[in-house]
Amino acid sequence: MSWEHFIYFAIASVLLWIWGAWAAWKDNRKQTYYTTIAGLLIFFSFIVMMWISLERPPLRTMGETRLWYSFFLPLAGLIIYSRWQYKWILSFSTMMSVVFICINIFKPEIHSKTLMPALQSPWFAPHVIVYMFAYALLGAATLMALYHLFSKRSAQDSMYSQMTSLDNLVYVGLAFMTFGMLFGALWAKEAWGHYWSWDPKETWAAITWFSYLVYIHYRLTPRNNPKLALVMIIISFILLQMCWWGINYLPAAMGSSVHTYNQ
Amino acid sequence: MWNKPWKMKEGFLLGGGLIIAGLALELTIGAVNWDAFAWPVNGIILLGMILALVVMTLLYNKVYAIRFLCTYQAAIPTMVYAVVLTIIMGLNRQTDDGTWFNNMLTFWPFVLIYVFIAIILGLITLRRLSKLTHHITLRDVSFLLNHLGLFMAMVCATLGNADIQRLKLTAIVDEPEWRAIDQEQRIVELPFMIQLDKFIMETYDDGSPRRFASDIQLITPSKDTIKTTIDVNKPAELDGWKIYQYSYDTTMGPMSQISIFELVHDPWLPWVYAGIFMMLGGAASMFILAQRKK
Repeated sequence: MSWEHFIYFAIASVLLWIWGAWAAWKDNRKQTYYTTIAGLLIFFSFIVMMWISLERPPLRTMGETRLWYSFFLPLAGLIIYSRWQYKWILSFSTMMSVVFICINIFKPEIHSKTLMPALQSPWFAPHVIVYMFAYALLGAATLMALYHLFSKRSAQDSMYSQMTSLDNLVYVGLAFMTFGMLFGALWAKEAWGHYWSWDPKETWAAITWFSYLVYIHYRLTPRNNPKLALVMIIISFILLQMCWWGINYLPAAMGSSVHTYNQ
Repeated sequence: MWNKPWKMKEGFLLGGGLIIAGLALELTIGAVNWDAFAWPVNGIILLGMILALVVMTLLYNKVYAIRFLCTYQAAIPTMVYAVVLTIIMGLNRQTDDGTWFNNMLTFWPFVLIYVFIAIILGLITLRRLSKLTHHITLRDVSFLLNHLGLFMAMVCATLGNADIQRLKLTAIVDEPEWRAIDQEQRIVELPFMIQLDKFIMETYDDGSPRRFASDIQLITPSKDTIKTTIDVNKPAELDGWKIYQYSYDTTMGPMSQISIFELVHDPWLPWVYAGIFMMLGGAASMFILAQRKK
């Protein structure tokens, strides 16, 4: 199994996800679940086969992390759909997923088979997978925030009830982000001798983490302004992008981060 | 302004005041010198900090400012300042000999804002503890794990930093070595010896490295000898020291007759780890509570 085969799995999954998203609009819940899950299974089977043929978890390159992100987005979408029955969420998550799939198809990076010794650790897979899941949830939260900010139907009452589910999404996303960050700290102690070195990636992880904490605490403040809270979610997600891939292009981080992926 | 109850505005002014105070310190006495915090100074500071927090908690009902520190209106602006200052850190290359924005960890405004966060965390933790009844809810546990965990991890990591010893030891095959070099290039004698039996280097078919490791013996004064292998990502542990595979004779590659180890001694690590594990528990409880809320 290699990246050449990716396009077939991707097309099959995306078609099923589009079907699922369409069924959600039509209020056909059963069909939504079946098709979306089928798409997820097909996509995941590609990940597993990549894992086997690479003889290591496909988590090292940016392309490989995008693979997980493309997988977790519809999964997060489905979880949110099952809890809060948003008709639009699967369309959004599918669209986002397609963007990442297209980047992987049209802008493939060098996909190397080797895994350097520093990455051979039992912490590697949980650290990255948990982070990717957090990113997917917080990405979904951002889409919801944008939807609320710009949709006409956002009458104060209905928006307020939706804010609670948005809060839940951020809580879960932040919980996973905390896991990812602390797994990283525990791993860093084993690999480099210290749990926190203010490496540029760590610095931006701290920024992102505090930024979501600001949102959570602000939402707990009596008489908070929901519009401002929505803006906080969007700003936090922009900061998250810096942490995720922005530092690869940041002059201040170049050559000084162990997290910059050249491959 | 400054009419009670204080609001976000007062919170931002308070943090702004700290930043101005930090700038004044930076300009007068210069950057923060973390080396000055080595034991026992850091222990005394921690004790003083906890005592001050307890006294402040006792004065909670008497002093309005202390009550204000326990509000979102104090916490949120402080976190916003922390985000902004840390963004400045992220946008500027950090170097050990840098100043101001190029060495934020020693920049007073940055340090003071994080100290303020620690004070708020300590206060709200004690306040919550003092209000606990016999009926402890998951929400209480979650609150304490998250806030006390962060307090412990942050404070112990920062105060303990000066006590961390990072040494390099170069071992030659079959020659027991007990002398290491610290970061100031001084020789430090260890309470045990490391004998390198064999350096191991494996490569992939394309020549890129697959494994660096060393078969070693750890010889202790009590004459117990421990045979072990140190891999990248798999340090050995002895008497509070962690021993890492660091380097080798790169001109010799797999034939290297030497192996260089990094030895790290961090007496505050158990406290930092306690904080980290509390935060992990806090994150788990946050996940559970989010599901329940609806």
